[in-house]
Amino acid sequence: MSVFMDLNVLFSADRSRLQSLVETAAHLGFSTVAINYVFEPTTKKKQEVPSPVPISELIGQLPVVQGRSRPIKVLNRLTVVMSEASHFRPNTTEYRAFDLLAIQPTTEKLFHTTCMLCDVDIICISVTEKLPFFFKRAPINGAIDRGVVFEVSYASALRDSTMRRYTIANAVCLMESCKGKNVIVSSAAEKALELRGPYDIINLGALFGLSDADSKEAVSSTCRAVLLHAETRKTASGIVYTRISQQDTLQDCVGSEAPAAKRPKPT
Amino acid sequence: MVRVKSRYLLCEINVSDRRDLLKLDDRAVAGSVKAAVARTHGDYGAALCSIRFCVKYLNAHTGIVFLRFHKGCYKLLWSALPFITSIECRGQIIPCFLNCLHVGGTIRTCQKFLIRYNTRQLHQMLPKYKNKEEKRKIQEAILSCSLTGGGNKALEDELESEEEDDE
Repeated sequence: MSVFMDLNVLFSADRSRLQSLVETAAHLGFSTVAINYVFEPTTKKKQEVPSPVPISELIGQLPVVQGRSRPIKVLNRLTVVMSEASHFRPNTTEYRAFDLLAIQPTTEKLFHTTCMLCDVDIICISVTEKLPFFFKRAPINGAIDRGVVFEVSYASALRDSTMRRYTIANAVCLMESCKGKNVIVSSAAEKALELRGPYDIINLGALFGLSDADSKEAVSSTCRAVLLHAETRKTASGIVYTRISQQDTLQDCVGSEAPAAKRPKPT
Repeated sequence: MVRVKSRYLLCEINVSDRRDLLKLDDRAVAGSVKAAVARTHGDYGAALCSIRFCVKYLNAHTGIVFLRFHKGCYKLLWSALPFITSIECRGQIIPCFLNCLHVGGTIRTCQKFLIRYNTRQLHQMLPKYKNKEEKRKIQEAILSCSLTGGGNKALEDELESEEEDDE
């Protein structure tokens, strides 16, 4: 029994919609869901990075995952859609409030910078338009070594036939260059009816050019690797993390799982 | 020994409004599956779908449907199922999605899985009910689940009444 996760559920201001989304995800068997806040900075005006609404305010009682006895875990994630490297400042306090960070690059140069340098967990491949640039092996291999994953989302494919073609085209291009490693498939669902069960997504991965085993990994173990990678961003090179105890003094704890996080696949 | 082999896909239809489930019938589901396969895989898919595809069982109360496919091409046709966004039935369009729970070689294995799955659903429903009378009914239904002896029918009745109470 593996753990399935859906790391992209779009945030909407409507509470009941989010609640029904999370409940459907729990019913389908996803153990973890990440609510995605999309942020698109433009150079014209200074925009505020949206701050995440705390989970306890959003959903009262977390539903239990189908087939398990634990309630579903809900995380926060920020996606920055950008065209220039200056838009992204990784150490600002607003970014620290999110559990996962993602970038959607729109130019080739930025894609290269993001893969090699930027401190993010996920690189989103856009599915709503034909890719303006081609993938090269060099930045992709660099990203794989660092533990960054590429994400393909499928909700737009469900809506429209042209989107379906773009999604499949872009996904197939990506799989060719990265050979199926470090990929996650997630829904960018706005409504509860746009989610799909984990085994259906595994089969959809076969359409994108992934093998069966890679496809299953794309929904389970690679997602878990992303979560571990995100945790290490808050620590000092993944070995030590600090936690404020009740007496307001700093305590040092050693995270034993952290060294494995630098390598996506445990050997 | 030549035996004709098929794959039976156990799917659950999820709708946003439970009352819409009752309007479904098997011909509507079959029609929408064929249309989705034709849209996704074109003429090749539509041809594969006509070999040995049929809807073997549909339970309108719980939304469970058994689809039968030819063993050689079930994966391709399965990959078209996520693209179903609505089912049209008697002129009404019901927005829904199909979630595949289990793939089996025979109807019997799918039925065994379905009984285990329904038992788990009843277990999950148990803490929600405060009324002693209803709790007793659910516990009786859980105990009476078995492959023979019509246990499955009792389950569906329980599920249907429980879900109506839920609203």
